[in-house]
Amino acid sequence: MEPTLQESTKLAEQASINERMQRNLLAIASDRDETAFADFYAYFAGRVKSFLMGKGMNEDTSEELVQEIMITVWRKAQSYDPGKAAASTWLFTIARNRRIDYLRGNSRIEVELDDYMLEEDDTVVSQEASLNLIQQSSILEKTLTKLPQDQQQVMHLSYYRGLSHGDIAQWLSIPIGTVKSRIRLAMQTMRSEFSEQESE
Amino acid sequence: MLTHHLTEATLQEYSVGALSKAMETLIACHLTVCPHCRHRAQLHDAVGGVMLDRIEPATVQTLPQNIIERASQQAELTKTKPLEDDLSSRNTNGIPRPLARLLPAPIDQLKWRTIAPGLKQFNLTNQPRKDGAFKLISAAPGLSMSEHTHKHRELTYIVCGSYSDKFGQFNAGDISDLDDDDLHEPVVDSEIPCISLIATDAPVKFSGMMGKVIQPFIGI
Ligand SMILES: [Zn+2]
Repeated sequence: MEPTLQESTKLAEQASINERMQRNLLAIASDRDETAFADFYAYFAGRVKSFLMGKGMNEDTSEELVQEIMITVWRKAQSYDPGKAAASTWLFTIARNRRIDYLRGNSRIEVELDDYMLEEDDTVVSQEASLNLIQQSSILEKTLTKLPQDQQQVMHLSYYRGLSHGDIAQWLSIPIGTVKSRIRLAMQTMRSEFSEQESE
Repeated sequence: MLTHHLTEATLQEYSVGALSKAMETLIACHLTVCPHCRHRAQLHDAVGGVMLDRIEPATVQTLPQNIIERASQQAELTKTKPLEDDLSSRNTNGIPRPLARLLPAPIDQLKWRTIAPGLKQFNLTNQPRKDGAFKLISAAPGLSMSEHTHKHRELTYIVCGSYSDKFGQFNAGDISDLDDDDLHEPVVDSEIPCISLIATDAPVKFSGMMGKVIQPFIGI
């Protein structure tokens, strides 16, 4: 299905914002660029706050956490790898981890990259073959808006309300298996859009 | 060669941060040894990023300059990994660090508790059973577990040895990611005991006779 002209314009706009945010992070990392930080902050701070409040956090706590998350952005911009993640992805993981930290009092458990047990990825993806991450985000965004309503609903409840699949099942009065299969179908669609673009 | 992986739904819940610390630990163990699932997990985080892009922003009170000021006032926090030295001197052979960090002793020197003939467990949590289990299970070669289903979800990470059920053979590094209605009857088919890490959301309902007897004691 071809996007309408209006949709195409919106997607192109978003792609240029994504690119600008990526440049901002790189400028913060290399030059401690305060203007770049202000631009990044202007675009994302309100989104992160909204993201936290949507999951039931009160306004004051959300504001405080946004500050801490943005301090991390300012300090850790060097650890941002533009070849691995879009700026929004990187920020999403920081915000998610800070929220878990706050709620639980201990960090999210993750792979430790210096673990001697770490099995390295031996499938080397060439620069040309790997899709531009800015493009990737645009494709994801486009695909997301085209998902069937019931799949969009569970994605919404999961990402924006922070509900577990079990909670979503209760909330919608549907079996948990149905929640999981909607999530699976949504992710399958997005994966296949990806590989389609990659093989083009 | 790993053959049993995390489901799309589990990777998604891990990405949004809706799982318990126990489930996270187990998932991080598999991700350590499975580049395939690590790669799959990236897409979920990317979706999270796009969802963040699409949200209606709230009003923030703080100015960006204040953030920079605050950052310069605070001392740089260095993330410490206190167990590091300990870990390298210990026999953590074959155990990914997210699990190794939780063990008070090498795996063969843990204070295992025998719960049935050929079956030992080591609890990794003090939380009440109704909130879900988090434990290591060591099952002797040839042992057959009673057929059981799961009320919510059970994640199993194989530390060593192997077992088989109707879903196939599970070896070190593999993960068994069972949904609520899956009925299974695992049999240990390695020559060494099969040690697995188990996390559940809620207690398991046994359907077999043996299960009914041992369920109150082991709760897996
Ligand atoms: Zn895997």
